[in-house]
Amino acid sequence: MDEKKLTGKKNIEYFIIAIVLLAILLFPLYWTIVTSLKTEQEIFRIPPTLIPEVLNTDSYMAQIGTGDFNMFRSFGNSFLIAGSAMIISVILAVPASYSLARYRFKGKKLVLLVFLITQMLPVSVLLTPMFIIYKNLHILNNPLSAILADATIGIPFSVLILKNYFASIPGEMEEAATIDGCNRFTAFLRILLPIAKPGVIVCAVFSFLYAWGDLAYGMTFIQNQELRPITAGIFNFMGQYGTKWSYLTAFAVVTILPVALIFIFMQKYIISGLTNGAVKG
Amino acid sequence: MFKKRIKKETVGLLFALPALIYMCALVVYPIISNIILSFQEVTVKTFSLPQKPFVGLDNYIEMFQDPVLLTAIKNTLIFTVCCIAFQFLIGFAMALLFSKKFTASQPVRGLLMMPWMIPITVTALMFKFMFGSNVGIINQALMAVGLIGEPVEWLTTSGTAMFALIVTNVWIGIPFNMILISTGLSTIPKELYESASVDGANRITTFFHITLPLLRPTIESVLILGFIYTFKVFDLVYVMTGGGPVNTTQMLSTLSYKESFEMFNYSKGAAVANILFVILLLVSILYLKATYKEED
Repeated sequence: MDEKKLTGKKNIEYFIIAIVLLAILLFPLYWTIVTSLKTEQEIFRIPPTLIPEVLNTDSYMAQIGTGDFNMFRSFGNSFLIAGSAMIISVILAVPASYSLARYRFKGKKLVLLVFLITQMLPVSVLLTPMFIIYKNLHILNNPLSAILADATIGIPFSVLILKNYFASIPGEMEEAATIDGCNRFTAFLRILLPIAKPGVIVCAVFSFLYAWGDLAYGMTFIQNQELRPITAGIFNFMGQYGTKWSYLTAFAVVTILPVALIFIFMQKYIISGLTNGAVKG
Repeated sequence: MFKKRIKKETVGLLFALPALIYMCALVVYPIISNIILSFQEVTVKTFSLPQKPFVGLDNYIEMFQDPVLLTAIKNTLIFTVCCIAFQFLIGFAMALLFSKKFTASQPVRGLLMMPWMIPITVTALMFKFMFGSNVGIINQALMAVGLIGEPVEWLTTSGTAMFALIVTNVWIGIPFNMILISTGLSTIPKELYESASVDGANRITTFFHITLPLLRPTIESVLILGFIYTFKVFDLVYVMTGGGPVNTTQMLSTLSYKESFEMFNYSKGAAVANILFVILLLVSILYLKATYKEED
């Protein structure tokens, strides 16, 4: 609303309110990180300590390389699954969104509707039939099962975001390229794709994050602990060692790590994806 | 030369085809087979039979006679309405706060997006820890200020379990509401506020006569999208309470999962999922109609 900057007392008041809000809302994250660095005894101390007395990295070290719940192996599994789902989503969504933005063809509205509806689909609807299909195809307990399922979240999101990007690029750009000797495919690759790059990054980031956060698909299709993604690893660990909070919170911190890094370095893409994807979705 | 002779329409379709085939194979086909599945009787026993027995509407009839389905519908509705109400109001208030430019307003608003980004499994774990009865910081804090005398078993007591789930989901939903309403606020022309203040309108009248009416499309889409996202909640409930204690937090999604993957009644699981799907589909159509009307 107001574009002018606040100054003086008003400025300080707003600043303090914002910092207090930040402290309250990000407390769960702080608490998780701090707990992962405490010893098991300190976690159970009453009253609780807000800062660990002794920095204890055992919870991380104990889970490197050994144990049923090797969190670094699950981390790798998640990386493979989310990375592959991201690549599939982007490769399929880029040409599809370009076509929806630029071309007229029969059934275009129906195609658009398919993407819109799938974006709103609950996982529950796909879990049982996918499980049966995968079982018949013998790809249960194979990372491919989760990869294929996770990309179904990334594709519709990416198509709808990129469609708006391509639609906003003036058509003269392509015409100029055609005069310079490009055909439709090279014009698309050399001219349009570089302009739409920020949109492609938004799609890649979101497709990765959706797959990274998935629990339902990874947990249902992959029963083999060694192949499971990290979210399913956490869930298993909670079931077996429900009160071993030092290990559990360490698990949580490792899972958040890539999300936090993406968040720090790509914040503007995330905010743009969230607003464009949701409002236009 | 050859490419130029291809009709423009064909080229367009060709570009869209790979994604379309993918979605048909992995989304449309499963949706259809889920519908068929719900009219059959597929359990562990009949799973490998080439011809699955057809039972018509039996799965739906049996589920509707089972009180747990109505409980799940009721729970899902209560959960959704409470979450939306709180996350919307808090998100709105925060969007208004951050519409002012003060020191560090942009970076702080950015950091506040964090809860929305975290994988839900991790969020569920963090809040399960905080709501824990012995070491939980929430019990410790409430006891320290004297609001409760002894630790509350938040997640294993009927009533409080739903409360804990709502608190957690509101935490996830606040950033989503805040950022969308922020975007909506930024599209309101500044001149309107300037002329209103020239006319002597105070903050409250400006809010009700300028901000709210102009924000209506944003508010509508935030609420409907919030409904869709919240109504299909699965991970959070499955990890934090698993639908318990005694079904008091059983949602449609968790009930469907339980039938399919814990009881191995795949057809009943499919039937419950379809009920969830139909409800979401109706709301989605409502949303699409509303947004397309605006664009036309």
